[in-house]
Amino acid sequence: MNSPTLREHAQQLIDLEMSAGNPSPENDEVKAMLRVCEKLRRCLSASAGVAGFSSLMARSLTLAKAELPWMEAAKVDENGTLVLEGDPQLDRDQAAQGGVLIIACLIGLLVDFIGGDLTLSLIHEAWPQAGAFSKEEKNP
Amino acid sequence: MSKTDKVIINQLPTGVPGLDEIMGGGLPEFSFNIIAGAPGCGKTTVAHQFVFANATPEHSALYFTILGEPAIKMLRYQQQFSFFEPAKVGTSVRFVNLSKVLLEGDLNAVLEEITRQVEAAKPGFVVVDSFRTVIRKAQGEAGELEVQSFIQRLALHLTSWQATTFLVGEYLESEIRDNPVFTVADGLIFLYQAVERSSVVRKLQIMKLRGRASVPGLHTVRITDDGVQAFSRTLGLTGRKGKPRERQRISIGVAELDKMLGGGVLEGDSILVAGPSGTGKSVLATQFIAAGIGAGEPGIVAVFEERPEEYASRAASFGLDLESPQHQGKIEILYLRPMDLSVDETMQEILDAVRRIGAKRLVIDSLAGFEMALAPAFRVEFRESLYRMIGALTGAGITILSTVEMEESFVEFPFSHFAISFLTDDIIRLRYVEIGGQLRKVLVVIKMRGGNHSKDVREYVITAEGLVVIAPRYTDYKRLITGLPERVGQKEELPPEPKEGGFGEP
Repeated sequence: MNSPTLREHAQQLIDLEMSAGNPSPENDEVKAMLRVCEKLRRCLSASAGVAGFSSLMARSLTLAKAELPWMEAAKVDENGTLVLEGDPQLDRDQAAQGGVLIIACLIGLLVDFIGGDLTLSLIHEAWPQAGAFSKEEKNP
Repeated sequence: MSKTDKVIINQLPTGVPGLDEIMGGGLPEFSFNIIAGAPGCGKTTVAHQFVFANATPEHSALYFTILGEPAIKMLRYQQQFSFFEPAKVGTSVRFVNLSKVLLEGDLNAVLEEITRQVEAAKPGFVVVDSFRTVIRKAQGEAGELEVQSFIQRLALHLTSWQATTFLVGEYLESEIRDNPVFTVADGLIFLYQAVERSSVVRKLQIMKLRGRASVPGLHTVRITDDGVQAFSRTLGLTGRKGKPRERQRISIGVAELDKMLGGGVLEGDSILVAGPSGTGKSVLATQFIAAGIGAGEPGIVAVFEERPEEYASRAASFGLDLESPQHQGKIEILYLRPMDLSVDETMQEILDAVRRIGAKRLVIDSLAGFEMALAPAFRVEFRESLYRMIGALTGAGITILSTVEMEESFVEFPFSHFAISFLTDDIIRLRYVEIGGQLRKVLVVIKMRGGNHSKDVREYVITAEGLVVIAPRYTDYKRLITGLPERVGQKEELPPEPKEGGFGEP
């Protein structure tokens, strides 16, 4: 589900958020990842409902935890927002890896449920400049 | 006010094949409509078909989902239908979930959110699915008057914003009476689904449609990969011209039988060929179609008991080539799969084929097979639907030959056990008779509305050339139609086919 191509796509969204944000030391990948999640939350909650998005996000987190156990510190609240509990000591690479993974899982779930075309049209609502899916991503 | 001063209400395509005709041309623009029915009837699919048929970036659609089918699942399943265009989602068609508003707020909050979204998006089309959940919530907290006020304000607002609206809801027919939702609606489409024996029967009814004359009654509905398709009870055949006054006589394909028919059958007649198994009904039907091809009249053969290739192969054994005309688009042999068909959709397939090739002749072989192919629940409507189709097609100048199998009786001489004689202009009865130790065949023209015809009972044989009516016999018999005739003449004649030694015996 979170194939290299989906991860590349997730990375692209994070990169777009980083380039859109202020160039400051605080504008790191974790914050960009949280903004990606928030934009996806807004997009999907409008059409699928808050509960619908929350359940997808919770499932994505569970899938990500299987690969990166440190993500046990992450939770999805009732609004579907991703929150990190406590103060997990993460290095920059770990955080970046986790951010990409959870977004890739979420995109992968959407592709599984509604197909590549509809997923991409949802992504384009938030990031019109986001690239198209590869054939593998559209038909995992 | 003169006729030209009246406001012209645009008709929008419903996107559901057959439904526009049932609705008298389409869905009135800016109308406030309800699609109601039990779960599984196809309500959401109809709403999607309407939305995808009409929504554009300039006239977009807002699809509000509430506590019904989750939007993700709705998108997952609806995109399986051919009408679903993923490219329209998010641009021309936008899905908005109102579950949270409904759970946390009251009727006013729901109305405010719908109003806010509509004013922001200025959609041409709005769907609320499922509206029933809104009403359930409302009725739990508010009185009937408040519910009615809410619906009226919603209808008023959406119409004022020039939106054509569909409310989708799970309702039973018994709930419609005295329900304020239905009072406010301009249009009410009710979908039914029932299990009859082992078949599922889906129907649709336009219970209300302001300002338009819809086709009354229950119409068959089928859900396929293309979505919902409706089959009008009138089969789209209303307003057809009647039979022309001057009608030509056309050949039935058997020269001697043409003579018995006074020079052939009248164009636009409905002919019934009745007889027991093996008497050559299908052979005569094939000759009728082949004669049409020879005269430049395309034909349709609707078969229910054998496959088209078998039918064409059997025709070839009589020297009748149905293969080439099929390739040339002059003949279509329709094999209507024998399972759970409704009368109207079967007839629609026949009508589509008639229109497709401009057919002038139609064979239905056989009526018994046709009836058996129908789902049990539809068989009670068989005669009525057949009446409508035959009436409309013959009215358009198409000549129809139907075959019907009769059980041979030696005590009576029925024309048809379908009691459909009233549907036919001409009846040709085939039957067996026992003569001289042989089971021979005779035919008689029972009825011919368009003129005089031979009253003779004539013997015929089935040869390599098909059905051949043999020259009049000189031996007289009485009680031929009983099947057990008695010879009254004295002249000995050889039988038309040798009694023995002629069929491969050494």
